[in-house]
Amino acid sequence: MKEILLKTEKLSKSYSSGGVLQHVLKNVDLQLYKGDFTIIMGASGAGKSTLLYALSGMDTPSLGAITFRGETISDFSADELAVFRREHCGFVFQQIYLIDGMSVMDNVLAVGLLVNKDKKALVRRAKELFQAVGISEETQKKFPGQLSGGEAQRVGIVRGLINSPEILFADEPTGALNSKTGLDVLDVFTKFNEEGQSVVMVTHDMRSARRGNRILYLKDGIILGECNLGPYKDGDRGRNEKLSSFLSEMGW
Amino acid sequence: MKKNLLLIHSNLRKGKGQAAAISILIFLAALLLNLWLMLSTDYKQNFDRCHDKMNAEHVTLAVDDDSEQMREFLAKAVENDERTSEFALGQVMLMVGSFDYNGGEVNSELVILEKQTAISRPVGKVEIVEDSDIQSGIYMPILYKSEDIAIGKTVTISIGSNKVSYPVCGFFNSVMAGSHNCSICELILTEDLYNELEAKGYAPRATLCSVRLKDSAESADYETALKSQVASQYPAARATSNSYELVSQSRYISQMICAGLMGVMAFFILLIALAVMVSNIVNYIQENMKDLGALKAAGYTGSQLIAALMAQFLGITLIAAIAGTGVSYCLFPFLNEMMISQTGIPYEIHFLPLPMLVSLLILGGASASAVWLSAHRIKKIEPITALRQGIRTHNFRRNHVPLEKTRAPLDFALALKMTLSGVKNNVTVCITILVLSLVVVFSGLMVENMITDIDPFLNLIVGEMADSCINVGAETEEDFLREMERDGRVEKVYLYNSLPVSHKGGLELMATVCDDFSKANNQDVVFKGRFPKFDNEIVVAAKYAKEKNLAIGDEMAITSGGKEATYIISGYTQISNHLGKDCLLTRAGYERMGECQNTSYYINLADGVSIEEFNSEMKERFGDGVNATINIEATIQGAASVYVSLMTVIVFAVLILSFMVVVFVLYLLVRTMLNNKKRDYGVMKALGFTTGQLIGQTAISFMPAVIISTFFGLILSSLIINPLTAAFLNGIGIVKCTFTVPVGFIIIAGAGLVLFAFGAACLLSLKIKKIAPQALLTGE
Repeated sequence: MKEILLKTEKLSKSYSSGGVLQHVLKNVDLQLYKGDFTIIMGASGAGKSTLLYALSGMDTPSLGAITFRGETISDFSADELAVFRREHCGFVFQQIYLIDGMSVMDNVLAVGLLVNKDKKALVRRAKELFQAVGISEETQKKFPGQLSGGEAQRVGIVRGLINSPEILFADEPTGALNSKTGLDVLDVFTKFNEEGQSVVMVTHDMRSARRGNRILYLKDGIILGECNLGPYKDGDRGRNEKLSSFLSEMGW
Repeated sequence: MKKNLLLIHSNLRKGKGQAAAISILIFLAALLLNLWLMLSTDYKQNFDRCHDKMNAEHVTLAVDDDSEQMREFLAKAVENDERTSEFALGQVMLMVGSFDYNGGEVNSELVILEKQTAISRPVGKVEIVEDSDIQSGIYMPILYKSEDIAIGKTVTISIGSNKVSYPVCGFFNSVMAGSHNCSICELILTEDLYNELEAKGYAPRATLCSVRLKDSAESADYETALKSQVASQYPAARATSNSYELVSQSRYISQMICAGLMGVMAFFILLIALAVMVSNIVNYIQENMKDLGALKAAGYTGSQLIAALMAQFLGITLIAAIAGTGVSYCLFPFLNEMMISQTGIPYEIHFLPLPMLVSLLILGGASASAVWLSAHRIKKIEPITALRQGIRTHNFRRNHVPLEKTRAPLDFALALKMTLSGVKNNVTVCITILVLSLVVVFSGLMVENMITDIDPFLNLIVGEMADSCINVGAETEEDFLREMERDGRVEKVYLYNSLPVSHKGGLELMATVCDDFSKANNQDVVFKGRFPKFDNEIVVAAKYAKEKNLAIGDEMAITSGGKEATYIISGYTQISNHLGKDCLLTRAGYERMGECQNTSYYINLADGVSIEEFNSEMKERFGDGVNATINIEATIQGAASVYVSLMTVIVFAVLILSFMVVVFVLYLLVRTMLNNKKRDYGVMKALGFTTGQLIGQTAISFMPAVIISTFFGLILSSLIINPLTAAFLNGIGIVKCTFTVPVGFIIIAGAGLVLFAFGAACLLSLKIKKIAPQALLTGE
């Protein structure tokens, strides 16, 4: 029996745009499990990112509830949510969003020091993570503007993992990268997931989706279908076919 | 042209807030600049206009002798001087007298004229500006119009030991003798009362000689020469006089101070407006690098893009400046009322094109220079580079405060990073705070030395102060001094007499004669060298000494009553009573030229003794032997209260304006920071930073610049404030100020300033609350 980390009940999110109310998420009931690499797929405007940001406490639902380990985070204030995010979540963004004015190391430590006061241990962990994603000592001293896209995103992953989050949320992490660099980044996600890191990733890219063990397909604000692929194995043709078949079933 | 208009329109649409901010600053600068220029140019010229309109004299001389011989002598002396344009002689009454005003007392040489004579004199006539149906009474100078001195109310004039009371019929304007600041103060009586007072014999009959010159610049020399002729021919006659040079300056001291402060504030605000303008343009170029590259690629030249910015900022500047100068006319009536209560000369507000034009030129020129200096780098933008990636304008070569190594707490370290990467912000904050520190120190100085305790200010401006001054005739002097020695209420009595003397080859000086200067209460009157000790020593006003190139140790020939004596300069003084035309002599020194007659004695009374009662008692005891008594405390209080209230208003206005400017500058800086770092704030919130942490970091990031500039600003200001104040007061003869710099006040004010800036920065950063992490979703 897998441990439930996050759970939503009748999660709805609406936006008012030009006086017209748009229901982006509609009564979504969902459970996220520890150790899973969950992929959220769907067409543009399906509500993927809205769901991701609601789950991660970055946005608040219009209706419904989100609970994390039994605690209802949807009732949290903005500051309580900030504390929730720093202690339990990690984030990787499509646009990477490193802070330009800070070195690579400082970008990571600034987030780490929010939670971990033991600086020595924190620096040690940051260096381990940098090594794991292939960021050299030299690069750690650079500023974001001096990095390639792939390097920057790998730094983004290290920043997302520095506080050993229970869930790592990733929003189209390869969306702004070229094919080769994108694959390298996906390998990093896979590696950490294999080591037990729970990951929730939004993507509309088949290649990225293949890395997940659980695929949720979102359409018009509801979860239309779900597919379990099992643990990722490189070159697993059956996995690709299963995913393709699921997606075509969903109207992809 | 059309292309540029499109660009301007687009820029303005994007930067509405910035345009509004600059407009407000330029508006304030224009308002103050125009007021400053109006006050320091036309307002001063108003004296000349009024002087010409009333065909006023350039030299006034009143002699307590109305004999035919004196008239003939004066007429001949004046006619023979080729500098004379026209003159008038008239019969008046002359005496030292006093009346209550503004909670104090006015003591002056009073010249009493009969109404018809006063208004019909060909030279030096007066103008009745307020009249009533009261047929018999007194007309007072308009300067003294107040709650107690109003039409229908009774004014009591003390003349020697006598008092006379008259109902006020109205008020008049006299350019050269309408205030106690003029050396001579005229009062007008209706014919019946004039005759009645003349018959009583309280005040001696006198001759009033008013001379209009061909060249007003000659007034001081002319006054000296004429007075000297009278003194040599009639050594026993008591003569009092003034000149255009003295009166035109002394009646405008408050206006000069007020105008100076406004000028300083105007340039301070302009400086900040320029800093904001430059910062906006630099940010604009940084943020719109790709757009600028695209425009260049589309065919715009660098000059066209700069011209668009120039037109945009000049347009804002000129519109705001015109509005500011316009609104200054709405505020001018209030200021005018305040100034008239100081100068006593009515001023009719009218449109002044020159100050407005100068204001617009200064503001327009300064803005154009700032735009040109900050925008010319647009020329260097290569379209391809800008389009491909934008040009990195911020080169993070140094990792300030590396988190791996610093021991500082996270929020503090991040704030420091922000501080060290924002040099432009720091410079703007430093300039603002440095100027504000000067304002704080100036305010502290005024509060300490003028508003809460006026003595230091009076010691500087007035010089010597005591409780009472009694002027006694030569025949009574011995008895008087014996009585003073016997009287237990008298703590100290010393001769302190003002007598006119002439510097040979120079101007007329007012000599303060004292039997022993070591007895004087104010030992700071001589600020360099020492008081005269021997009969061959003199102390001269520093301003005059500088003008005449006289150094300590030099010899100086002085004449009085036709006799001449030479003295060695033993020190410099800076009494401002005669605008820097003073000297100090010992009694023995003065008597080398002539006897001291009708001597004034300064008296310190024991605590609790009523000065008024003491003076009355002396008048009664010595009768006609006492020429005049002055309650110095009341006299000073009357004159000083006006200055204190004016200075209180100025200090408050300057402080409020300065703090508003600080808030405004911080608002602009915080807003620019929030705009530039909006994405970073969103990311940091997403990663778990709370709003409070980010507000704290932002506010703290300004604090190093605030604390350092406050610290150094206050120290520097404390060091320069006295020389600066002296430079400011140089026009009235002050060359060195030794005001106490209130250290406690300044420390508290400095701490207050830092806390105020922190509080303001926190409040202004509250906008961070509105930055939502989910804004990243939409790429905001």
